Amino acid sequence: MNPGTAPGGIRFDGVTVAYGGTVVLDRLDLTVEPGEFMALLGPSGSGKTTALRAVAGFVRPAAGRVFLGGRDVTALPPHRRGIGMVVQSYALFPHLKVKDNVAFGLKAHRTPKAEIPGRVTEALELVGMAAYAERHPRELSGGQQQRVAIARALAIRPGVLLLDEPLSALDARLRSGMLAELARLHRELPDVSILYVTHDQVEALTLADRIAVMDRSRLQDCGTPEELYRRPRTEFTASFVGNANLLPVTVTGEGAVRLGDRPLGVLAETGTAAAGATATLCVRPHLVGLGDGPNALTGSVTEVQWRGSTHRVHADVDGHRVMADLRELREPPAIGDPVTLHYATEDAVLLPAGAGAGAGDPTEAGP
Amino acid sequence: MTATAATAATTAPARSRTVPAWVWALPPVAVLALAFLYPLVLVGRQSVTPDDGGGVSLDPYADVFASEVFRDALTTTVWLAAGSTVGCLVLGFALALVIAFVPFPGGRTVARFVDVFLSFPSFLITLALLFVYGSVGMANGLWTDVTGAADGPFHFLTTPWGVLLAEITFFTPFVMRPLLAAFSQLDTGQLEVASSLGAGPARIIRQVILPEALPALAAGGSLVLVMCLNEFGIVLFTGAKDVTTLPMLVYSKAILESDYPAACVVAVVNIALSVGLYSLYRVVSRRAGA
Amino acid sequence: MLVHSRAGKRATWAVFLLLFVPLFAVPLLVILAASLATHWSGAFPSGPTVERYAAATSGDSLQALTTSLATALAASVLALTLGGWAALAAASLRSRGRRLLDALFILPVAVPSVVVGLAVLVAYSRPPVLLNGTRWIVILAHTVLVTAFAHQSVAAAVRRLDPMYEQAAAGLGASPARVLWRVKLPLLLPSLTSAVGLCFALSMGELSATMMLYPPDWTPLPVQIFAATDRGSLFTGAALAVVLMTSTLLVLAAVSRIRTRASYR
Repeated sequence: MNPGTAPGGIRFDGVTVAYGGTVVLDRLDLTVEPGEFMALLGPSGSGKTTALRAVAGFVRPAAGRVFLGGRDVTALPPHRRGIGMVVQSYALFPHLKVKDNVAFGLKAHRTPKAEIPGRVTEALELVGMAAYAERHPRELSGGQQQRVAIARALAIRPGVLLLDEPLSALDARLRSGMLAELARLHRELPDVSILYVTHDQVEALTLADRIAVMDRSRLQDCGTPEELYRRPRTEFTASFVGNANLLPVTVTGEGAVRLGDRPLGVLAETGTAAAGATATLCVRPHLVGLGDGPNALTGSVTEVQWRGSTHRVHADVDGHRVMADLRELREPPAIGDPVTLHYATEDAVLLPAGAGAGAGDPTEAGP
Repeated sequence: MTATAATAATTAPARSRTVPAWVWALPPVAVLALAFLYPLVLVGRQSVTPDDGGGVSLDPYADVFASEVFRDALTTTVWLAAGSTVGCLVLGFALALVIAFVPFPGGRTVARFVDVFLSFPSFLITLALLFVYGSVGMANGLWTDVTGAADGPFHFLTTPWGVLLAEITFFTPFVMRPLLAAFSQLDTGQLEVASSLGAGPARIIRQVILPEALPALAAGGSLVLVMCLNEFGIVLFTGAKDVTTLPMLVYSKAILESDYPAACVVAVVNIALSVGLYSLYRVVSRRAGA
Repeated sequence: MLVHSRAGKRATWAVFLLLFVPLFAVPLLVILAASLATHWSGAFPSGPTVERYAAATSGDSLQALTTSLATALAASVLALTLGGWAALAAASLRSRGRRLLDALFILPVAVPSVVVGLAVLVAYSRPPVLLNGTRWIVILAHTVLVTAFAHQSVAAAVRRLDPMYEQAAAGLGASPARVLWRVKLPLLLPSLTSAVGLCFALSMGELSATMMLYPPDWTPLPVQIFAATDRGSLFTGAALAVVLMTSTLLVLAAVSRIRTRASYR
């Protein structure tokens, strides 16, 4: 698909979108490099879909500019932007066959007639749907419709592919298959910038080169999946990307904090707050161990959940809840038992004290 | 979030060349204005310009309002429309209730028949009633055959009652259709729960079905009211000299008497009545979400 | 569901049939029976004949039928264009403009048909446009009367149309004109055909405005039926009415065939 591909790259430059006085996207600054897979991750109502629709041209920013391939497209109508887009409901045209759906964008772009069949086949082969060219969308399963929708978006060789919750309408098994498929597509289309909107951290962590975390109309954090997972910069990121124990602590020195009277250690370079300041300590449940060790946390068991390969143990430590994901225990503790947990200093990150954004939901499985 | 080479080559913002959306609404509005609104305005103007003297005056209104015929027509129109509406609501509710909740084989056919009925013109009903209840029709024929009398007892067809019967017959399907649609959305589980809680059919109808059907009844009823106020074909076909409604009066003033100012006055009154009620219907049906 | 005992059900159905059959089924059957009879002085019609149909499908009556068909065809196509255009244009307006346009196009439903006839007569019997005495004034009035219904049904269909299709098409580079022709209109096709069918049926049966307007050389079928019954030829009127109903139903059936095929795709 290399020849004729439109230039990739998306840049949001202070993009603000408001509906009737309500700001739904607040001064978004974000750059997606050509060929980069960027996931916009956030809960519903966080502004992530609005950001995608601003790129597509379906919402007009109240302020700021949108650039595609270096070109300011803020004032361009959607059909002049040359993007590929796949929406949640696929929106395959029910009155057109699969091949005509895929050819739709080519015809709209005035592709020479002789080229169209070849390009259609090429796009359908890319998603493994070439055998279904003569079918109508209603004769396809959800996963097949999804593939056709992607082929339709890719047939015009866009520099930018927008995917809006593309897997949310699929059941769990199809979803994991499509995840692998999307990862393969990204490898095969090295020049296409992909903006992928999702509320599912697994999809974002699996697929994205970088993740932009959105909450309450704002960009909260942006980085590679590993950065966000290992070194989240905000409480929101910590709890939304994977599970997290978030403990309110007081900084006592370089790499040293206090939880109540209990001294604990954190990864030194993240503890930038001055001594005496309050901060939040973040440690992932699967990095918390059972038994005594450095950074010991003693308390009593409040809940034990068996999850097949692991046990999740909740403990009450001086009135704070601490979760530990432990490899399946032969003799799991009972509720009310005294327990000691610990973690390695390099696994704890210090975050600025937030407004108490909810701790990671203990019922949600981690990645 | 580094700046990229791509964004460095920023070009001037591209302009969109599309015309505003309201421009596309202009052609149909212009045609409608020419074909419908402009004639209506002329009717209004004609109603205040008597044939004899040049200037604008309200004389035609005074003349028409003073005339016996007009006042009769107005009362006849209103009570006929009101009576027909009540009749349609009662009959339509009862019939729709049976089709929806006491299902029988052929019920769907009946529902489809109701749809077909809607696509026929109203005057066919009067024509049919002439054969059934007319002076030489079926009912009177049966009576004379059985009793041996020279004349049958049914002579109501040329009275307002004949018009009422025809209007109820013709407009009842207009009530049934929205009702059947509303009933089809009613969760039948509600009925089953209600009857398992010991409610009899009458109580279920009153407390479960009727509240759900009320918006559809209100919308259907006000539509039928407006249509009855405007009905012409049924009245024309009865050929009754003593049944004059407002639309009938417009026709006879304009075509039979060529008294255009008077016809226009009656027309304005009829428009005011119908459009007022129709606006009410729109508000009601919007609130009902129909 | 509502009545559980067998006897109760039977009684309910009996009441239903007692109301339904005389009120709705009998009138149509009576017209059919009368159209095939020469006399009806007793309980039942007598003297079966098909002569009336020979008369009803030749000469003046045939001309009235073709007049009605031509008027209904012209009016419904014009009304669909006008009302459909307005409905599509309204969909892209803000809510206030859309409400105004909807109200404007719904107005002809509320205004009595006789008054529409009178208004068209008053307006087009004088310069600058003299249509009185021509067939065009009939077609014009029919178009005005049925446009509201065309607009209403297309507007309802446009509201039901998922905006995702339009956006997906625009996202693929289709200009608004292409979106309209290649996506919106094909998806609306079933509703458009049913709107045409509705308009056609209404125009076929239109009497009120037509009575005010028709020129001698453009007499639609309903006027012909009225003329026949008015001079006492009830049986001829019945035959003409059957012709009217049959032709309307045939056209509706043809339209619904097109509709099923369109929605299958």
